[in-house]
Amino acid sequence: MAKKSLKAKPLLSPQYCKACGLCVEACAQGCLVMGEAIHPETGLRPVVLDIERCTACGLCISACPEPYALAPLPVEGETEIPAPPPKAALTTPDTRLPLAIEDPLVIRGTYASAIGALLAGCRNFFGYPITPSTEGAELMALLLPKLDGVFVQAVSELATINMMYGCGGAGRRAMTFTSSPGMSLMLEGLSYMIGAEIPGVVVDVMRGGPGLGNIAPEQSDIKLVCRSLGHGNTHGIVLAPSTPQEMLDLTFDAFELSFRYRIPAVVLCDGYLGQMTGRVVLPKTMVRPGVPGWAVTGDREHRRNLMCSIELSERDLEEHNRRLIEKYKRIEKSEQRADLFHCDDAEVILVACNTPARMAKGAVRELRQRGAKVGLFRPLTLWPFPIQALEPVVARARRIVVVEASDGQLEDELRLALSHAGMRLPARIESLRHYGGVLPQLHEIVDVVLPDALSAGASRGRA
Amino acid sequence: MSVFYERFERHAHGEGVKGRSTHYCAGCGHGLAHKYLAEAIDDLGVQDRTIAISPVGCAVFLYYYFDVGNTQASHGRAPAVAIGHKMANPDSVIVSYQGDGDLAAIGLAEIIQAAQLGVPITVVFVNNAVYGMTGGQLAPTTPLGHATATSPAGRDLSMGAPLKMTEMIAAIDGCVYAERVALFDNKERITAKRAIRKALALQLENRGLSFVEVLSECPTHLKMSPRESQRWVRETMVRIFPLGVKKDVKSGRWPAPPPPNFDSARMVEVIGGFADHVESRDAKLPSELGDEVGLKFAGSGGDGAQTAAMLVTRAAIHEGFDATHIPSYGPESRGGTSYADVRIAVDEVLSPAVTAPNVLVAFNAPSLAKFGPHVLPGGTIIYDSSVITERPQQRDEVNCIGVPCAEIAAGLGKAVVKNIVALGALQAATRVLPEKVFIDVIRLALKSKPKLLPINEEAFRRGAEMVANARTSPS
Ligand code: SF4
Ligand code: SF4
Ligand code: SF4
Repeated sequence: MAKKSLKAKPLLSPQYCKACGLCVEACAQGCLVMGEAIHPETGLRPVVLDIERCTACGLCISACPEPYALAPLPVEGETEIPAPPPKAALTTPDTRLPLAIEDPLVIRGTYASAIGALLAGCRNFFGYPITPSTEGAELMALLLPKLDGVFVQAVSELATINMMYGCGGAGRRAMTFTSSPGMSLMLEGLSYMIGAEIPGVVVDVMRGGPGLGNIAPEQSDIKLVCRSLGHGNTHGIVLAPSTPQEMLDLTFDAFELSFRYRIPAVVLCDGYLGQMTGRVVLPKTMVRPGVPGWAVTGDREHRRNLMCSIELSERDLEEHNRRLIEKYKRIEKSEQRADLFHCDDAEVILVACNTPARMAKGAVRELRQRGAKVGLFRPLTLWPFPIQALEPVVARARRIVVVEASDGQLEDELRLALSHAGMRLPARIESLRHYGGVLPQLHEIVDVVLPDALSAGASRGRA
Repeated sequence: MSVFYERFERHAHGEGVKGRSTHYCAGCGHGLAHKYLAEAIDDLGVQDRTIAISPVGCAVFLYYYFDVGNTQASHGRAPAVAIGHKMANPDSVIVSYQGDGDLAAIGLAEIIQAAQLGVPITVVFVNNAVYGMTGGQLAPTTPLGHATATSPAGRDLSMGAPLKMTEMIAAIDGCVYAERVALFDNKERITAKRAIRKALALQLENRGLSFVEVLSECPTHLKMSPRESQRWVRETMVRIFPLGVKKDVKSGRWPAPPPPNFDSARMVEVIGGFADHVESRDAKLPSELGDEVGLKFAGSGGDGAQTAAMLVTRAAIHEGFDATHIPSYGPESRGGTSYADVRIAVDEVLSPAVTAPNVLVAFNAPSLAKFGPHVLPGGTIIYDSSVITERPQQRDEVNCIGVPCAEIAAGLGKAVVKNIVALGALQAATRVLPEKVFIDVIRLALKSKPKLLPINEEAFRRGAEMVANARTSPS
């Protein structure tokens, strides 16, 4: 960087002068006086500079709040050649590294999720303790230092999500574990992340609500994360695991998706699943993440980058919204996922996710043994809702029974998806709902489904 | 000045005079604070490394002007965003630029935590005693008596006295430098410039948070000329907010995070400990149990029901089964009820909850009373007969075995192994899994406490013995 002379006479550019008069006050020589003439471009009366008596003390320049109104007068031979602007950074790609652990892990859901994050290249955890999610955070606190990662316990969920905003904006894979009340607090930050297109993964181990509710498993946040991820036209990718294995797999995938689309992803699970221990098989590879070209990393190539969700002009903000909506459409088209269990010939379709889906799976087996043609449709992505896979299934089915630990939050997603797809609602959408931490049990599902499932099948057989 | 963009492309698309002038009102202190910050960045040669966090407030558009890495934060959260950036790139130079509403009202928790953590970021806190962007409302730093849009009759004590942030931050250990400066005359401006430069230079020493409060003019909301505003700051604000260095210590050391490790051998070391070896992959359950078996362990906290359940789960997975374990605790986390559901399946556990178990292990009478009646026909109940003295009512088709688990454990000199006694009994009574795999997982679980192994193995053996004896002796 060329050395500038500290003392220089000023050069006035009247078009950038706001006529504040601070330079007039600053100059002891009286070289600057308030102007009379109105500047045609600004409508202001810029100061007038008479450089005759100037001692080049530089005080007027230091007193001028405007970057370009009063600048040091270029001295001959000392003119600074401005450095060329930095070249835009290229994205360095992620690398897959082989991982040689053949044997399964026997771990609880939150642990599986934490390990999924590590394998996906997450080395930055930010979080605030909240039951029943904290065990995941605790494992991160234990393991991250061994991988030279960073664990920060934030002062709140607000701070947490904003640390993720900064870290994700730096292109790093950041995550948190939280539970429903914490999720509510993170919504503002998530809206900013979505607006600024900053990736990051939130694992929400849902608990009973509203308010403080309790720490038992409820599917209390489906609506929150699918429909209202903060203010504005927002969406984030929502994945819904049902087993410890899926806690690992879907957390891993959440990072991939989040970075592919530059959008936050939520792994939505429940307290039961978080605590459930099971067999978890590891993937054959792990990820060493690259550095995205768009990130703000504190080096020359990334210097021109900006993480920002403000667009002052209506036109610009509409344009920005259009681009985001375009992206949501691409995600809706390409990233729907579902697991279908005995749906091929099913007359009754159970729809469930998270732990209730496991109860429902058990119920399907029992109902099948009793001769009822029942299947389970299990969305793995709640947003986007896997309507493509559901369409043919619904077309064949006579009844849909939504099994959930919430007041129809899953059913609403289903109905919205059906209606957006232009499908006529099936003749019967029934529900089995529990709240407050009570989960639908296998025998209840059987009781709801069985009577009509058999008689209808039988009567049709007779016809 | 090279740290300002040549043209402010983000300011109204850089068109016309806006391309080289700021959005600030005439005589606004933000312009000067920007200028001194830009000079400091330039002087220290850290333009490429710098990331500026724009706040919410009049300085929200800071990123229009600074040719550095830029991130715009939500209201009050700039220090949290700054921490996120610093943790990602410890070598980056982070400036968290905030106004008084942003830092001293909505963002109090974030700035306090940043100071507490001692993360080396530089905070430029512009205090002009009013909310500028939203139109001149009461700020935490508004002087008593001063009228604002939301204190039209002037601030009185019902609105509290002004907050002195620099003194507060200086009192926090993680802050290494805190100074309050002003802009109202040449002398103060020189001090302000020097302070901002110093705060930034200190960041390069990686010791802790550096904080500069700039008493600043907001002529628009003071409804004064720029010159009158300067006088107001000098006469009114300085009296409340005394200028000067509040803290400047040589101590402090920030443990900068190392570059993250992505070595797969290291990963194997770190998570390999959770892996359980799987013996055979086509395991079968005893024929009378079919393809799936549900077990319930019930007692009170401290009975070891969860550990026993976990050991069975791991043993099952060793054998090549799928298995799940779900704990459920009573409302009191200590000493309350503690139940565990374990399900073992040949292919896949479909429904992990166990409402009607094949096997119940009950450590106390309430647990036995609660779950005993739900045990499936052909199932087994193992209860601690040293605690449950009344022999339970015999049910047809349920094998009910009393084992004095607590007594045996006490006899072995280790009360906590009563759950292992119960496991021995469980294995002998149901043969749900081979004895060897139980011993294997107990050994694995005690890898770090080998001294306890003999007593646990003995406990297991004694439990099994009790069942064998019960079989041979007529009841
Ligand atoms: S450099 Fe000093 S003497 Fe010259 S115009 Fe500016 S303030 Fe006056
Ligand atoms: S200080 Fe700058 S903006 Fe203010 S009157 Fe002087 S030249 Fe104009
Ligand atoms: S309102 Fe006040 S703080 Fe905001 S730009 Fe104008 S003078 Fe500056």
